[in-house]
Amino acid sequence: MSRVIQVPEVLDHKGFEELVATLGGLPGDAGSRLLFNAKHVRWVSPYGLIGLLAAGQVSHDRTGLPPRIEAPDNREVRSYLDRMEFWAAAHEVFDIEPGSAPSHGTSDALLEITPIRSHHDVHTVVEKVRERSAAILEKRLHYPKPSVIQFSVMLSEVCQNIIEHADADGWVCAQTYNYRERLGREVLMLAVMDVGMGFEGSLGAEHARRYGESWSAAMALEAALLYGESRFRDPGRGQGLQAIRRQVEKWDGMLAIRSGDAQIALVPDWDDYPSMQRGLATFPGAQILIVMPARTEEER
Amino acid sequence: MSHENSPAIAVASLYQPNLVTRQTGRAVRDGIERLMSERGDTIAVIDLRDVAVIDFSCADEVVAKLVMGSDGETADSVPRFVLVRGIREHHLDPVEGALRRRGLAVSAERIGGEPVLLGEVEPEALAAWRMLAACGRVRTDELARRLGVDPGSCDSLLAGLLRRRLVRRDGDAFESLAFSASVARRSSDCTSRANG
Repeated sequence: MSRVIQVPEVLDHKGFEELVATLGGLPGDAGSRLLFNAKHVRWVSPYGLIGLLAAGQVSHDRTGLPPRIEAPDNREVRSYLDRMEFWAAAHEVFDIEPGSAPSHGTSDALLEITPIRSHHDVHTVVEKVRERSAAILEKRLHYPKPSVIQFSVMLSEVCQNIIEHADADGWVCAQTYNYRERLGREVLMLAVMDVGMGFEGSLGAEHARRYGESWSAAMALEAALLYGESRFRDPGRGQGLQAIRRQVEKWDGMLAIRSGDAQIALVPDWDDYPSMQRGLATFPGAQILIVMPARTEEER
Repeated sequence: MSHENSPAIAVASLYQPNLVTRQTGRAVRDGIERLMSERGDTIAVIDLRDVAVIDFSCADEVVAKLVMGSDGETADSVPRFVLVRGIREHHLDPVEGALRRRGLAVSAERIGGEPVLLGEVEPEALAAWRMLAACGRVRTDELARRLGVDPGSCDSLLAGLLRRRLVRRDGDAFESLAFSASVARRSSDCTSRANG
């Protein structure tokens, strides 16, 4: 018999935290299959979407069995999942009957869910977004022309973070939508996740001794994002996250990195996200969220 | 002024639109280093004119590591020079970022041929480099006169630039790398479509 995990109705970054807390509260018995009940999901963000895959992968790793998933009833959500190619990625995580995955609709996404397993995938992702990002960043979000290339550079670095530091597979996706409640403008949301060793593990071998018992996921996140530290002694390493940080700040965007039981964020004036959260439910790997708001007329 | 010692150059025209990831950068650098070592080339010319996207990691692997030698070793044993051509505005941030992080600098040319020094250099040395780039080839006393500094100071600035492989010495004159490359024997043209 499967144990059921209720997927929150609103599956955004907060919904993902609920999902992680629920998953963490369940005993991880080997051989005991889980069922992710997503029937009642009525809204999902790119972060929530790949968060569901990440949660599925963690339960797979814990129980040794691929979990099952109940697809959402809501037609719009189903359509969104199809367009974002959720089911193609879900087939590798969940126990889904062959042929049950819906065919893909026409996508208006900047980047559908794309697994990141090697540097070839990073090339694929950068190639994929080049034309689309020109249309979306320039025309819809009114970013200047150079931002199209700057976005590709950022995307490349954030995806490489998985290959270089996670020691596990990950996923990336990006989509624009209207962030009406918080901002009253369209935003581009980029989500990247893996369920690998996380920042605390990645930086631990090189830095934990220096910090002693106070070494934690929060400290590892600060070391990487604020001070550009890396698990490698090579001074050329660790600049990818620094570059992402500078770019997001320049665009007045929001950057949040969750790893282990902590989350660090660069928070613009328009958001009230906490800059550091500790004591979250523990979850492996790293989960990165970048939000880029449309330029206002004054900013153009 | 005669040119006494023509260097051999390896030209790496990087026809790949997306120069991204460390693996790709390593593959490109390995190709350039192999060619240089097989043929005894002394100037590597990296042509970025067809590169649409270069990320920080790849810039570190291709440009910064080629400048500093290979994989952390100093390049003292082999006098080798690097010139980057075809620099566009969007290449600047990743290439400069990668160089500055290691305290390095490289001689470069913008897409229109305008010389530009990328990376970390003291203002006085930068002024000397710019003047030399404008002259192409010049003796120390002449450069000192143009810079309005005494020959001793000019000599030490040039020695610093030479140590960092940002200029070449040829007999009693100093040359910008762009000048050296223009008179060099082109012993090898390597094109790269490396994809890791």
